[in-house]
Amino acid sequence: MSQVISEQKRKIHPHKFTLWVAIGSILMMFAGMTSAYIVKRSQASWLMIEIPMMFWYSTATILASSVTVQLALKSLKKREMINYRRLLAVTAVLGVLFIVLQIVGFGQFAAQDIRLVGAGSNASYSFLLAISGLHGIHVLGGVVALVVIAIRALNSSTRSYSSVPLEIAATYWHFVDALWIYLFIFFTWMK
Amino acid sequence: MSGYFILIILVLAFVLIFQISKASEYVSVLKGEEKSFKQSNRINAFLFILFMVLGLAGAWWCNELLYDRTLLAQPAASDHGEKIDFMMWLTIIVTGIVFLLTQVLLFWFAFKYQYSEKRTSYFFPHNNKLELLWTVVPAIFLTVLVGFGLFYWFKITGDAPKDAQIVEITGKQFNWMMRYPGKDNVLGRKNYRLTDASSGNALGVDWEDGASHDDIEASEMHLVVGKPVQLVINAQDVIHDVGLVHFRLKMDAVPGIPTTLWFTPKYTTEQMKKITGNKDFVYEISCDQICGSGHYSMRGVIIVETQEEHDAWMASKKPQYLTVQEGAAPAAPAADSTAAAASATMSKPLAQLK
Amino acid sequence: MSSETISHGHTEEASVHSHDSHEAHGHDHHHEESFLSKYVFSTDHKMIGKQFLITGIIWAIIGGLFSVLFRLQLGYPETSFPVLEDLFGKWAAGGRISNEFYYALVTMHGTILVFFVLTAGLSGTFANILIPLQIGARDMASGFMNMLSYWFFFLASVVMFASLFIQTGPASGGWTIYPPLSALGQASEGSKLGMDFWLISMALFIVSSLLGGLNYISTILNLRTKGMSMTRMPLTMWAIFFTALLGVLSFPVLLSGAVLLLFDRNLGTSFYLSEIVVKGEILPNEGGSAILFQHLFWFLGHPEVYIILLPALGMVSEILSVNSRKPIFGYLAMVGSLFAICILAFLVWAHHMFVTGLNPFLGAFFVLLTLLIAVPSAIKVFNWLTTLWKGNIRFTPAMLFSIGFISLFISGGLTGIFLGNSTLDIHLHDTYFVVAHFHIVMGVASFFGMFAGVYHWFPKMYGRFLNNTMAYIHFWVTLVGAYLIFWPMHYSGLAGMPRRYTDWSNWQSFNQFQDMNRFISTVAMIVFAVQILFVFNFFYSIFKGRKVTSTNPWGANTLEWTTPINPGHGNWPGDIPEVHRWAYDYSKDGREFIPQTEPIGADESKH
Ligand code: HEM
Ligand SMILES: [Cu+2]
Ligand SMILES: [Cu+2]
Repeated sequence: MSQVISEQKRKIHPHKFTLWVAIGSILMMFAGMTSAYIVKRSQASWLMIEIPMMFWYSTATILASSVTVQLALKSLKKREMINYRRLLAVTAVLGVLFIVLQIVGFGQFAAQDIRLVGAGSNASYSFLLAISGLHGIHVLGGVVALVVIAIRALNSSTRSYSSVPLEIAATYWHFVDALWIYLFIFFTWMK
Repeated sequence: MSGYFILIILVLAFVLIFQISKASEYVSVLKGEEKSFKQSNRINAFLFILFMVLGLAGAWWCNELLYDRTLLAQPAASDHGEKIDFMMWLTIIVTGIVFLLTQVLLFWFAFKYQYSEKRTSYFFPHNNKLELLWTVVPAIFLTVLVGFGLFYWFKITGDAPKDAQIVEITGKQFNWMMRYPGKDNVLGRKNYRLTDASSGNALGVDWEDGASHDDIEASEMHLVVGKPVQLVINAQDVIHDVGLVHFRLKMDAVPGIPTTLWFTPKYTTEQMKKITGNKDFVYEISCDQICGSGHYSMRGVIIVETQEEHDAWMASKKPQYLTVQEGAAPAAPAADSTAAAASATMSKPLAQLK
Repeated sequence: MSSETISHGHTEEASVHSHDSHEAHGHDHHHEESFLSKYVFSTDHKMIGKQFLITGIIWAIIGGLFSVLFRLQLGYPETSFPVLEDLFGKWAAGGRISNEFYYALVTMHGTILVFFVLTAGLSGTFANILIPLQIGARDMASGFMNMLSYWFFFLASVVMFASLFIQTGPASGGWTIYPPLSALGQASEGSKLGMDFWLISMALFIVSSLLGGLNYISTILNLRTKGMSMTRMPLTMWAIFFTALLGVLSFPVLLSGAVLLLFDRNLGTSFYLSEIVVKGEILPNEGGSAILFQHLFWFLGHPEVYIILLPALGMVSEILSVNSRKPIFGYLAMVGSLFAICILAFLVWAHHMFVTGLNPFLGAFFVLLTLLIAVPSAIKVFNWLTTLWKGNIRFTPAMLFSIGFISLFISGGLTGIFLGNSTLDIHLHDTYFVVAHFHIVMGVASFFGMFAGVYHWFPKMYGRFLNNTMAYIHFWVTLVGAYLIFWPMHYSGLAGMPRRYTDWSNWQSFNQFQDMNRFISTVAMIVFAVQILFVFNFFYSIFKGRKVTSTNPWGANTLEWTTPINPGHGNWPGDIPEVHRWAYDYSKDGREFIPQTEPIGADESKH
């Protein structure tokens, strides 16, 4: 394996490449969802969605986390291991915070007596839930990846200074971030 | 008992085939791989040509046996159906020629170019002219087929003539219900929340709409020969499909999204009896979209008749609104017992609706 | 697979107890560990490929058995088979297959064969075994993901299998699971718990395909050996590459459709449901669209049929060239047509929805694009025929199945021209004409491709040959049987006979085919028995087959035949060979074959 990879030095790392294909694949899923949303929107009984304030906060959170993960990567490359671990932890926490804020945001719908699911629910809000929920799961996957990398960084026996895993995780992280921005704009635009 | 017997025979056959196969493998090793390869190669090449000849003969024979049982053997019962039949024949001829050509070449080449020591293969990696040829020729044929196809497609899916008779057909597990607009030629408004078979409103008609008062409900579809009809197609529970084989048409019935379909019946049921030579002939509506365990039994009947017969039939029917008003034995024409029982528990008093 | 592990584990334990010497213990321990990592949680692409193949074979037997069972009902609707009641209890009360049981069998038959056998079993097997071997790599880009891909498939299999034993039965709304039928437990027994199992199993399956597909793509693009440019790759590689691309881009869309369906089923949302009265019960859902699901489903569903077909197209091209001792005719046109098919596959999904009330203008587009696919398909057929022309053909079992494949591909492809033309589809949609079409072109043809692949690469997989005589019997009975089963179905289709019916005897218009149905059922049973013969041959030959004695038994050019007879982890003991030419220099300059590893000679002719 390693030999093969060294032969391929000039090219993009195969794992990174795999990630890019995976991103394409995930995009297809959300493209499916959002086009379903658009189709539904043109039909009767569609309700205008009011995006709660909380979603602005969560958007800010995930944007911030993109910055921290980039900083973590920088630290790793400069071998500032303490900084690196801290930033990694902050990123993961911000990721979790994002999900929490999303959940709180959906809680606010309930307070406004808007049904997301069950009898009396409207597909427009159900879509919001399903799409953001799917996105949340992808963020959660990113958090798990960061935690795994962080544990590996702490574990001295497998100390490795290869930045490839983190580069991949960071790319993914930026992707879920960008995906959310897209969804957010989509929801505000296409209500 | 006979089951076990068959099983034993099967197992024995298996063992036999297996032993023969093993043995022939040993024999081929003894005889020399080269020699047995040549032998089996010859046999397989011959079998291919045999398969082709018997296969074509078999296809002919199959056609002899089954052609008369298909709809190709009888005229389409609607104007749209005639267009479809024409398309069908055109496509059968075009694809039939390609089929014969390619299959014969395939098996003939397999036989002709079977392994021989004397020959070496001809190194022939590509030839642009040939490849262009079999890109362009199929494209031309397909253009013709698409052209005809779309021409008819737009005719068939185009708007119904203004004077078309309107009939509503609604599918539910597992039967069809018809509604006619009555004298005003307007179907009364519906609201699915009003559906209540036990009180005579199996279709969920909104009696508040005056247009519904002369609507007639029935379990059979009566059409007038030579008069265009527009079907308004609904479903109550799951997706069904109004399949009209003799008219060569079908259209899905989707809950919440009404669809339409129009055509002009060409022959009365009586005429079709003569044409098909089947004295029991009926036009059937088959459900063509899986809809549950009774899907295969979701049968409807169409009666195509003359205008006079149709008028007489209409006159014999009482509008559903009146039936419900009288409140006497209001069971809806097509409600099956389970539906009625289930909805009885829902009990929506009629008074509330008025 | 797992039961093997367990039983093996037991013997190990026993031997540990009988020898108390420390050495023996240590040895056994080591052995057990390697057993697990060698046969179970292996990351070696060859072993993972075999795992896919064997799981696929098991599923094929189950799926095939289901077809025998429901063919029993279709062929003998009046007859009672008491043994069925013994076996299935209330599902076959009185020895007759109940309606619920029939629909469950049909649905499971379709699901199993389409997804578990011809997607996982076919792509999973040959992508895994062939990619590294044919492009010259030590393993996949990520062995770990590859292993996960198999185990997700295994999990999906377990869930689907478990659904067969649910009180209310497995899913029974057809493999296309259209809502509202699949969304409403009230509407059908199979839409109760069984449907949730189906959806969960499918979600796991999709994860498995995605993991696999990602790996295939990135391996093919990144790990090719020196000199293996894309245009020197064997056609199998191209086909698998496009297959993976189709899967990676279309399966996620099915996943989103399935997620929404799970919401509608369990959370009371209204994505697909609107204005429904089911068994007299008025549901609150409004504003959903049942047609929306069909768009999402067929956006996968159509590419899916090409996911099934493309690997077969690739393998057949390869095998045809090797055994005609001739280069494949028009290599670039073959790649180009695969590419065209791959693109068009994404643009034709609504041809399954001509009679749903689709906008006729939209429908016209889909007619055009659908019939466009016939052009690359025609190119393939004529190129194959030209490959055979003036060849020197060896009828190995793989070659027989490849020729059979072409015949079936032609027959089934031509009926596609009927169905793709919306005008004719109005008449033929959901009749037995469709059943005949998709079985021939997708079901049986892809199976032929798969058989061809198994016969051809079995020596590489196990270092032994399959028995030829059994292979010949297998081929000829299957080819004849497939035509006998599916050819007459066109006729019942032309009579408008609807599919997914358990019994037509109460219909004036469709009851004239009873004798034909009986005949078909009989042939189906014979064909099934012959498949069992193949399975037997397969397992027997793994252990007792004639041994392969040379590294290149077929005299082929591709790289997998430069590995040792039983390649170990890493495939080549020394360096990975370098590639100097395309894979199809057969009978060039009077030489029977020139392997890809041989440098271009000074006086070699150009082509
Ligand atoms: C011995 C071989 C086979 C026989 C006799 C057979 C028979 C049938 C029949 C009669 C049906 C229609 C049942 C109905 O509509 O009521 C059916 C459905 C189906 N079969 Fe097969 N089949 C065979 C092999 C295959 C293979 C190899 C595939 C792989 C693609 C396959 C895929 C399907 C699918 C997708 C359906 C549709 C299921 C549905 O309606 O949901 N079959 N089969
Ligand atoms: Cu039905
Ligand atoms: Cu399709």
